[in-house]
Amino acid sequence: MTHAQMIDKVLANIDKVMIGKRNIAELSVTALLAGGHVLLEDVPGVGKTMMVKALAKSIGASFKRIQFTPDLLPSDVLGVSIYNPRDMEFEFRPGPIVGNIVLADEINRTSPKTQSALLESMEESSVTVDGETLRIPQPFFVMATQNPIEYEGTYPLPEAQLDRFLFKLKMGYPDRLAEVEMLQRAEKAVPIEELESVITLEELRELQMEVAAVKVDATIKRYIVDCAAETRTNPYVYLGVSPRGSLAVMKACQAFALMRGRDYVTPDDVKYLVPFAFGHRIILKPEARYEGITAEEIIDRILTKVNVPIERIQVR
Amino acid sequence: MKETRMDKRLLIVLYTLAFILLREWLLPVMSLTDTDYLGIFMVFIGLSFLSSLFRVKWWISVPVKGLYILWAVHFVFLKLNFFTTDSLSLLLSDLMSNFSVFANGEWGEITNPFRTILFFVLLWMTAYLIRHWIEVRKSILLFYVMTVVFIAFIDTFSPYSAENAIFRIMVSGLLLVGLLYISRLSEKHHRTLKTGVYAAISLPLLFVVVASSAFASIIPEKDPVWPDPVPFLKSVVQGGQGAGTIMSTSGYDPDDSVLGGPFTPDHTLVFEAKVPSKQYWKIETKSTYTSKGWEQSSRDGNVHSFFPGEPLEDGQTTTPEDKELQPQRAELRILESLPYVAYPYGTTHIDTKQDTVVFHQLFDSEKILATKNNAAHELDTYEIEFNEPKYSMKALRETSMDGFAGDIDFSPYLQLPREVPDRVKELARTITENEESVYDKAKAVERYFRNNGFTYDQKNVPIPSKDEDYVDQFLFDTKRGYCDNFSTSMVVLLRSVDIPARWVKGFAPGESKMNSQRERIYEITNNEAHSWVEAYMPGIGWIPFEPTIGFTNMTSISYDIETSMDDPEAPEMRELEKQEKEKETPIAKAENNPNGPSGFEKAGTWVKSNVWKLVILLSVIAAIVWRIFTLRHKWMPKLLVRVYQKTSGNWDAFDKQYNRLLRQMDRFGIKRSGGMTLSEYAMAVDCHFGGSRMRELTAVYEQGVYGGHIEFHDWPALQEIWEDLIIRSAG
Repeated sequence: MTHAQMIDKVLANIDKVMIGKRNIAELSVTALLAGGHVLLEDVPGVGKTMMVKALAKSIGASFKRIQFTPDLLPSDVLGVSIYNPRDMEFEFRPGPIVGNIVLADEINRTSPKTQSALLESMEESSVTVDGETLRIPQPFFVMATQNPIEYEGTYPLPEAQLDRFLFKLKMGYPDRLAEVEMLQRAEKAVPIEELESVITLEELRELQMEVAAVKVDATIKRYIVDCAAETRTNPYVYLGVSPRGSLAVMKACQAFALMRGRDYVTPDDVKYLVPFAFGHRIILKPEARYEGITAEEIIDRILTKVNVPIERIQVR
Repeated sequence: MKETRMDKRLLIVLYTLAFILLREWLLPVMSLTDTDYLGIFMVFIGLSFLSSLFRVKWWISVPVKGLYILWAVHFVFLKLNFFTTDSLSLLLSDLMSNFSVFANGEWGEITNPFRTILFFVLLWMTAYLIRHWIEVRKSILLFYVMTVVFIAFIDTFSPYSAENAIFRIMVSGLLLVGLLYISRLSEKHHRTLKTGVYAAISLPLLFVVVASSAFASIIPEKDPVWPDPVPFLKSVVQGGQGAGTIMSTSGYDPDDSVLGGPFTPDHTLVFEAKVPSKQYWKIETKSTYTSKGWEQSSRDGNVHSFFPGEPLEDGQTTTPEDKELQPQRAELRILESLPYVAYPYGTTHIDTKQDTVVFHQLFDSEKILATKNNAAHELDTYEIEFNEPKYSMKALRETSMDGFAGDIDFSPYLQLPREVPDRVKELARTITENEESVYDKAKAVERYFRNNGFTYDQKNVPIPSKDEDYVDQFLFDTKRGYCDNFSTSMVVLLRSVDIPARWVKGFAPGESKMNSQRERIYEITNNEAHSWVEAYMPGIGWIPFEPTIGFTNMTSISYDIETSMDDPEAPEMRELEKQEKEKETPIAKAENNPNGPSGFEKAGTWVKSNVWKLVILLSVIAAIVWRIFTLRHKWMPKLLVRVYQKTSGNWDAFDKQYNRLLRQMDRFGIKRSGGMTLSEYAMAVDCHFGGSRMRELTAVYEQGVYGGHIEFHDWPALQEIWEDLIIRSAG
């Protein structure tokens, strides 16, 4: 079984419960393979949780869920040290963050302090409490969701924190036919419970290793950097994409190419993934907001502007 | 490429309109050049359009058209409906002889059959161009504008009246342009219109064109605000009249004792002739050359007097060879004073309404004058019946002076004054030494003036001084002059080699126009006063020759199809003539530059003297090259396929081929912006052509470029896809 077929099995499995959201599933798996995390931004009830659950079930991983509330404390996320009277010692009890797949629900409802705790452990893949550091077992994949910021009672994530997410995705409502199909399936049973794992964690780790082997041609690297550089000089952009953003795109492209059954990245991969990877990494100037220009539009313009490499660099 | 072709019914309409437009080009050309057989040319155009309409394969249409041209030439010039081996070989040799003429640039010598073929070729190209305009460019504005300009120009500056033509052009041209615009629009939006929809869209156009032209044709016409500028323009172009006082004016003048000197043109109308074809109007001949001019021969003794309508004496004036010919008629209306009767060659009867008139035919000078009550009388109108003489080429080529003793005393026609220098006689011998027959010798002399540096000039012509000979001065010193110089010189040259010749005065055919009854009228002005040469062909009679540059010999020579049936030498003779012509030219050129400057200098002076021709030639070449360059998306693919046919399956070759294809697609019109990835572009290409071939090819290319997989599994298949795409892009 090739890598692509393995990934395809996972996607097909998710498809059983998620209808008409193949692209989101693909992007989530891409992020998982690339070792990144995903921020899902959408209104409640469109299937964010279902998606993460299905993904977790498909790969046979442990699934943890943290519901963020305004009064949630960092220790509720990371874990606490408890005094064990028998051993006369403090013992660390890991919090829900220590899991393979973590759903951080409504992350913008909690205080910045708790948000930071979560995001730091996402970046480091470890938890530090009372000077004690615990590595979080791989694969570690956080899928955070947030309600659109216009909603009341939310703490918008700091821009720097957003950089920690590989993709920011929007789920969107399913289309009419997909929704009808969903209702029909729900009639029979709750399918999520019947979902079985199709690959093992071991296989997933193997796939993650394989991602690094996907070839990124020098021309493609230049293309990615060109796109990132363009965001930094764009007149509407206050803060452009960081080098971490370029790196993220490259990794995501590798994973995406692997999923597509290729061992090399094409400019199409870059063009496809850049909006998801860059969208949350640029800060627009107020003028852009006044003019109603969104980050998506700016990225779209950049992508039509930057020349796609179509020839090999002559090595002579 | 799968060319989205227009609806056939629409195409029929478009081609019909184009046919009407093209016909408007042919009509004035036919009428102004006295060419009949409009139908034959129209059929040819129709044939061309039909073949493009039905997409006839080139290997069918080209031979069909070629055969048609051959048949038309046959029909027009030999009056034969079918081919015979002899007629074909005759035509072939005629064509062959034209190529050398062509190569030497002797444009005046091109025979009529060849001209006709050239004209057909021109029509062929035009029809092809129109096809391109209609079906590919879908824009015919250029042709339409050209047509309007051409017709306007013809109408203004020539006798052709385009009053109805301009109406037809407006209606059909506007419709054509409009219909093509609609189809161009629909193509631009990638929509193919159904015929019904198309008709519905074109209805307003049709209505506007028809209504406006109908309205325009019925509203009363106002007089022009400005006076007609054409006469003014003409007078400016031709220079102010009466510039010098010593200049004589053109016109018929009985006194020719002193020739030479400049003259100014005089546009006064002398007479009008209603005659079906161009005729030389002969008035008199003169035979005594005085070294300064011509004197009337003193022997005017024989006179034949007759009443109107009676036949002329069949003397030397008429030489009708073919008695079966239908006699032709000419009606003349004299407007200026003309002391003698002007008559065409082959005149048999002269008639006038006035009964009391008596005609007198003077044999030696060949004048005909009218008297009334024993006093000279100038007629206002008269009619002439004549058989246009035709001469057999075969008979002419057998003419020889040897042992010929006719019953005419030739001494007056061989007379030469002592003053004629020897070098004139020597020149005459040089010109004629390679010719066999009398006719060929005379022709050689006639031709001599055309390519030995002679120019036609009415201004810078001197009167010979006391001890100068008029002919000698012209032949060796000035080399410029008008008809008198040319004709007198030819007579002297002919006489120098013992060919009887005489000097003829009269009028050139003049310009034709249509009168109100659509009959052809030739207007003869004083400018048409002319002189030419008659030489005596033993056994045949006096035949006119036209040495003057710019005039064409109107003598009809029949190519003797009947006689050549049993004469296998006929084509060879033409062959011989051709060879001799080729021989003749270098000799003549050598005479021009006796001291032969070095090749380098020659080239330099040649460039200097032809600088304009060179500029035009170069710009034409540049235009052609530019056109070839801009059309490269048409021919490049075929070339590329050839070039890359044998490539082995390595990456470098594929890389080149793929990039060639990208450029070719770009030329074809599918543009790739910088931000477009190859697969996006391939998608666009496939959308246009259908299928998924470009994507297949692109996938392989991307594998190589981005993935470094540069080995191929199925090279022939890739090659085939590539060829297919690149050929489609040429369509």
